[in-house]
Amino acid sequence: MAEYQNLFTQIQVRHAPDPGVPIGPDERDRLLKPGGFSYLLGRIGDAQIGPLYLGWLGIASLICGFAAIEVIGFNFLAQVNWDPVEFIRQLPWLGLEPPGPEYGLSIPPLAEGGWWLVAGFLLTMSIILWWFRMYFRAKKLKMGTHVAWAFASAIFLYLVLGFIRPVVMGSWSQAVPFGIFPHLDWTAAFSIRYGNLFYNPFHMLSIVFLYGSALLFAMHAGTILATAKMGGEREIDQITDRGTAAERSMLFWRWTMGFNATMESIHRWAWWFAVLTTLTGGIGILLTGTAVDNWYRWGIKHGIVPEYVQPYDDPSPAVEPGELDGPMRGDADDSFSPLPDDGYVPGPISRGLELDDGRVLTFGLAGGAPALGGDQ
Amino acid sequence: MNTRRVLPLAVLTALLASAGCELPPVDSENIGPRGLSMGTVENPSVTRPDSIAYVEAYPADPDPIPGDLPAAPAGTFENVQVLGNLSVAEFNRSMVAMTNWVSPEQGCNYCHVVQEDGSVIMAADDVYTKVVSRRMIQMTKYINEEWSSHVGEEGVNCYTCHVGQPQPEYVWTLDPHEPNLRYYLDREDVRVQSQAALTGDAEVETSIQNARNTYWFMIHTSNALGVNCTYCHASARFSDWEESPPARVTALRGYRMVRDINQQFVAPLGSILPDSVQGPEGDGPKVQCMTCHQGVNIPAYGLARATLYPALTLPEAVHPAATEEAAADIDMDALNELFMEAHQGMAAHPEAGTAGETHLPDVAGGSR
Repeated sequence: MAEYQNLFTQIQVRHAPDPGVPIGPDERDRLLKPGGFSYLLGRIGDAQIGPLYLGWLGIASLICGFAAIEVIGFNFLAQVNWDPVEFIRQLPWLGLEPPGPEYGLSIPPLAEGGWWLVAGFLLTMSIILWWFRMYFRAKKLKMGTHVAWAFASAIFLYLVLGFIRPVVMGSWSQAVPFGIFPHLDWTAAFSIRYGNLFYNPFHMLSIVFLYGSALLFAMHAGTILATAKMGGEREIDQITDRGTAAERSMLFWRWTMGFNATMESIHRWAWWFAVLTTLTGGIGILLTGTAVDNWYRWGIKHGIVPEYVQPYDDPSPAVEPGELDGPMRGDADDSFSPLPDDGYVPGPISRGLELDDGRVLTFGLAGGAPALGGDQ
Repeated sequence: MNTRRVLPLAVLTALLASAGCELPPVDSENIGPRGLSMGTVENPSVTRPDSIAYVEAYPADPDPIPGDLPAAPAGTFENVQVLGNLSVAEFNRSMVAMTNWVSPEQGCNYCHVVQEDGSVIMAADDVYTKVVSRRMIQMTKYINEEWSSHVGEEGVNCYTCHVGQPQPEYVWTLDPHEPNLRYYLDREDVRVQSQAALTGDAEVETSIQNARNTYWFMIHTSNALGVNCTYCHASARFSDWEESPPARVTALRGYRMVRDINQQFVAPLGSILPDSVQGPEGDGPKVQCMTCHQGVNIPAYGLARATLYPALTLPEAVHPAATEEAAADIDMDALNELFMEAHQGMAAHPEAGTAGETHLPDVAGGSR
């Protein structure tokens, strides 16, 4: 079978679609037939489409995911008065917010966070069903379940943000809103509220693994591409029957940094870096607010914050005692406090001058001259 | 050309064009310790033309009245409740200046309404603009007297916010979707960081929603002043006063000033304003940082000052009410004529509103 491909091969081989390895007869019924070939997809990957496996897990996951996106999308539409043009124009700013702090962990009315709970439940169901689908499909092919467990690490961070931490804190309001800018604003507000997340050591670790993942990805992909003309991308062959591509790429790294990962271990490096990114990140989020209230203060306590006292050229203004104090929280209710009565009472006012003939002389505030209105 | 080369170039160009980039060079000054990114950033090709346009539009201050004239005797004016302690000449000078600042196109008749018979009764309070003006003069006096810790010894005048428009451009009304605006009026919960490391030692819990309101509020301020966060805050420790740049204290006083004047002066006026300027919640326009600052950290580039105008700096003095007899002595026709002359003078000499180069502030020196 003409399956051999080279990264530099521009030719796409066409043959009868490959149905894949044999599986049980009942499973075979759930396979969609291979859907032919796509030239464009062949430019970036395998040109063959399908066969797609649609078990009940996959179908249920797609239904839940579709429903979640519908709930979020229709909430967005309602916010712009069902105007499709405004929906597209304002899409980056539209958000579906979790219930307010006053609801705790109770079920609020739909318009006040209930829809957020519905969307969150559906999305979570969709993701978890998809995880089982990945797990069982890997088992069916007698593969390891590494992909499923890496996905589980990402799901852990998702659940910490949207479910576990809010439940521990006792309020749905601690969770992340749906929406493009709203969820970014949330990350900024979360870091501000808890005194700068950059002093959170688990956040530090997560960043190390995130950037490390990118670095490893670049190093590994660069190495393989650089040895492709010697067969470097046939990594499995190179592990068992080391050829000149493996020899050269390993020597390259020993020359440049004295050490090299192997054709096999580099994939463990990559897997663990990716998995630890979301795992450590989730632990860092879980500790925030539950154990640590101000990571900057925590950093001072543990000696990881340098001091920069009075480093500015301008002299600090003289400050009255207590001037910089203020309510930490104050009365946060959203009502107008009564305006102070300083005895000023405006006299009787007309909003224009009524003329004898019934016309009214009104005054435009937007820069126009006084204009005549009323019955003319 | 080879698409392999053109495509990345096109993508790069599109990214640069869509990211709101400004053409270099950009001036950057480090105001804090090295390594904390405590930089102020300014692009002269953007700010310089803005400031020059502003300076050219600023109406020339009328010449000061020479000598030390006595206050107008009782009965000179009718229904002058706030400016009764000025001399007649200073009173008229102030009226002309305020017309220049607030209603240069509409003129005196924006507040002093032409009656049906063609005359103008200066004393009449029957139009809301007159009442609002009086209250705004009281407010400006109050700001210059009580809030010099924020506006400085030079003070502010009507032009600082009005910029030649009867209604200042940057005002706000209540909006349920922007609860952070309430910090300009009466909200108290702007401080969301506790001063304890551990949750068990923290004072009171606050919500992430409040933190987001604070964040939006701070971005409002940042936009209003044309500065970034590090103008007032140490980047890594927003709440820490010890390590904050000194400007943060000035800003705190500014917030308190805005809340003070919104509560005392601006919000109560909403009830007499026309529906057209009231917000969807039925409240009148209120002030915020942007109302005065308008994108620069020194409002009006320091041009609009109070010190040249006793009307805006002298403590308010209510003039003894004019007796009917004394009021009868006032030649209102002559006074009307005086105002009309002043108004026509302004219209006839539009170039009088342009300031000379002597007024050009040192823009590069930090007065963005």
